[in-house]
Amino acid sequence: MRLWILLAAAIPLAAQDSTQAPAAADTSAAAPAAQTEKLLTGDVDLGYRWFSGAGGSVDTYRSVVDLGSGVRLLGLNLSLQSPTKKYFDQINVRGSGWGGDPYNTAHVDATRHDWYNLNFDYRNIAYFNFMPSFADPTIGNGLFLNQQAFDSHRRMMDFELDLRPGKWLVPYLGFSHDSGFGTGVTDFVNGLNSYAVADKPRDATENYRGGVRIELKKFHATLEQGGTTFKDDQQVFTSNQNFGNAPVSILGQQLFVNGLTQAYGVRGDSIYSKALLTANPTPWLDVFGEFLYSRPRTNVNYSQFNAGQFVDLSTLLFYTSELDLVNAAARQPHTTVNLGFEIRPVKKLRVIESWMTDRLHNASSGALNQQVLDPAQALVTNFVDRLVMNYNREQVDALYDLAPRLTLRGGYHYEWGDGLTQGALLSGLQYETGQLKRHVGLAGVSYRALEKLTFSVDFEAANGDRNYFRTSLQNYEKARIQARYRVKPSLQLGARFTVLNNENPDPAVKYNFLSRDNSLSVTWNPNNGKWVTVTGDYTRATLRSDLSYIVPQDFTSAQSFYRDNVHEASALVDLLIPGFGGKGPKLGMGGSLVRSSGSRPTDYYQPVLRFTTPTCKHMNWYGEWRYYGFAEPFYGYEGFRAHILTVGVRVGL
Amino acid sequence: MRATTSILRAGPSPLASAPPPPPGTRPARAGHPRALAMAAALIFSAAVSNGQTPQGATYAGSEACQMCHEDIFKAFQKNPHVAVEKDKKRGFETHACESCHGPASKHIESTSAADIRNPAKLPAAETDRTCLTCHLNEPTHVGRIQSSHARDQVACVSCHSIHKSAEELVPRQRAAINKECANCHLSEWASFQKPYKHKLPEGAMSCVDCHNPHGSVLPHGIRTASANEPGCMNCHGDKRGPFVFEHAPVRLEGCATCHEPHGSANPKMLVRQEVRLLCLECHANTPATAVASKTLGGVPPAFHDLRSPQFQNCTVCHVKVHGSNVSQELLR
Repeated sequence: MRLWILLAAAIPLAAQDSTQAPAAADTSAAAPAAQTEKLLTGDVDLGYRWFSGAGGSVDTYRSVVDLGSGVRLLGLNLSLQSPTKKYFDQINVRGSGWGGDPYNTAHVDATRHDWYNLNFDYRNIAYFNFMPSFADPTIGNGLFLNQQAFDSHRRMMDFELDLRPGKWLVPYLGFSHDSGFGTGVTDFVNGLNSYAVADKPRDATENYRGGVRIELKKFHATLEQGGTTFKDDQQVFTSNQNFGNAPVSILGQQLFVNGLTQAYGVRGDSIYSKALLTANPTPWLDVFGEFLYSRPRTNVNYSQFNAGQFVDLSTLLFYTSELDLVNAAARQPHTTVNLGFEIRPVKKLRVIESWMTDRLHNASSGALNQQVLDPAQALVTNFVDRLVMNYNREQVDALYDLAPRLTLRGGYHYEWGDGLTQGALLSGLQYETGQLKRHVGLAGVSYRALEKLTFSVDFEAANGDRNYFRTSLQNYEKARIQARYRVKPSLQLGARFTVLNNENPDPAVKYNFLSRDNSLSVTWNPNNGKWVTVTGDYTRATLRSDLSYIVPQDFTSAQSFYRDNVHEASALVDLLIPGFGGKGPKLGMGGSLVRSSGSRPTDYYQPVLRFTTPTCKHMNWYGEWRYYGFAEPFYGYEGFRAHILTVGVRVGL
Repeated sequence: MRATTSILRAGPSPLASAPPPPPGTRPARAGHPRALAMAAALIFSAAVSNGQTPQGATYAGSEACQMCHEDIFKAFQKNPHVAVEKDKKRGFETHACESCHGPASKHIESTSAADIRNPAKLPAAETDRTCLTCHLNEPTHVGRIQSSHARDQVACVSCHSIHKSAEELVPRQRAAINKECANCHLSEWASFQKPYKHKLPEGAMSCVDCHNPHGSVLPHGIRTASANEPGCMNCHGDKRGPFVFEHAPVRLEGCATCHEPHGSANPKMLVRQEVRLLCLECHANTPATAVASKTLGGVPPAFHDLRSPQFQNCTVCHVKVHGSNVSQELLR
């Protein structure tokens, strides 16, 4: 973080240096317009955010919003031009949310024409989650708190350097880093009982890559070789006496844990290769292909020591300590090939044919060394597991320009494959196999009338013979209608309608799924938005899912229902207050609301009010009030409300 | 020049009176035998688009365009495409405007819009081919002709403003990217107003972090990570695996089997309001019926009494639901 603040601070200095050394610049080459052009442009938003405190559930507030009080660098957007263009043409720096917000971002890119493109991106996203209703909504039966709760962060960094961009051979290098860390609560399961214990997740993935892009007149290729390393050092522990979620005694003995250490020592790596090809050997033919191969693997060294009072259910033997050691490994070669071509036999007709295969095979093995009471009597259990996925797809599309503004399209795709996974313990099968066979018809129309109206329709219908899961797409119809109409330059309307109807008529499944989304949007900015700008959208979404299942405790057949009925609207009106010669204060008001009824009724409101006024030539003062209101009738204890007030200055450079 | 020749390949050459093309380029072809084979399709042929280059026009140079289109010319100077003005490789030097709009001499004489090629008025596929003349091999564009945007006739210029600033050519700020996508994907953006969602409205993420709008081997234009893994793993590296014990849906149908990534009223962006209901939708049959339905995972791992609060949240015990390195039951 400090590094980026320093860098951001250094940019104005660099700009001053550049402007103070005109003698070094090639003045003869500089056009008059360039001399007057500012080298450093952009703006900086600096402000103070005041948070009223969350009324209601603080945990839900933190899980959903999580903004706090304090000084913030709310936004930074700077662009620096080099007058000499010796080391760079332009550097752009962007950032947001620094100073304690849950989402901090930074981005730097630099270019020098024909020499390099450099991109660096950084993100730090806080992840807080503690939702009691995630566990048990039946509060009358005793609230059973969520035991998968986290207060953690994920940090991502990405660096990419292209050399000699625009040339026929472009080498590039890249590096990415992704890590997670924090604290939380998780569950330790032992026999009949389970115990909420402390969790300290910590993982990191590094990705290194390099390649070349080759650009010839009719042939383009990208070759990349990369590798990843991965580590997961999660630790789960407790030293308190904990009677668990099922505090019952067995044969007069109370089960508990009073000491636990779980240490996950997981190390992984992968190499991968990527070859991409595009070619246009003739004006009427484009060819493309991709070959992607990765070979991730994982090595596991896990140890667990738990002390307390436990029972082995098969022998009803009670014991007070246990040591488990696991050594295991998994290998997962994964190959993807995608080939296709677009042929234009006549001017108005395009035919696109593509074929894809994706093959993933996971094989793993390991040994569990379990010592209960007596280390000399360790029980060693060897295990193996497999997962196989072979997926294939062939698709053909034909697009015909019936008229210059009207395109018809039709197509067909066939998906087929097979999968293999371990059998459930109760099935008696070591492995279960599944198959995928799905025939899908495609159709569509695109119409663009007088540049004011664009209209498109898409339709897809499938007849699935086989699929992997009970809720997979089987016999389905999917349709989408979309229209945009520019009534006049200052007024645009948009509409979108989508529907998906999926059924699996198998008597053991009886799955019926129907979702509909209807959306409308409007943008009105008369006089190019000089005085007023209005944007708004409204979406009504409904979802119905019915599925047959067996109630586990009595094996009776029952129906699972899920319903969702959502009204969502958001709007923003920006007004320039008259009487200041068009340069006066601006007032903005609007916000968003979500009202959902059905299986989980939810109301979520975020009204917002903004005020901006210029204070001097390059500075605006602004203030924003935002209210968060969240309510769930079924889970009243999770509701919250909060006011956020932000004041600050925007400095334009 | 290459753009012009490919766009006009099936008609009479519009460059008959144009200067000779730069070395290395080919003149337009008057037609080819495949056209005969597809003659039946021609019965639907409509009039030639007014967006095409008129015959007999020659190159006039960008300065000639500036005379009338001063505002566009000025804005274009801040657009990265201004580099085309010096592009000797493709023969566009000194006529960047005409690299997309075609020879402009007739338009300059007549000042009629009908005498200049306007990519914005061409069918999307032809507009795209103009852009792909130079951009076919950029890493984000591979597979472009396979993307749903291309199939839906969403041309490059629908999202990229060619004449304006660099930021409007390719939006880089996350809020600008999201706004661009939300213009059409209204219902998806509406989902982001729900309480549990990825942090797009907050500006921490953008649509293109997960989707490649130019195409992908994965459905819905989902980006890939480390060659062929779903782009979700770019951030959720701890879920990447491979695990010693995999949970099959993660690999076979992906994260969206259980999660609604655009936003949900359900915690953890689940597609159902409670965990057990989600799990039971697959693990819900007796062995006999599961075999009959031929689906994977149909037999429950165990028959718990779901009336007990202890068993109403499966993930309280099955903590490693995305895959475990230690426990076949995904318990640790």
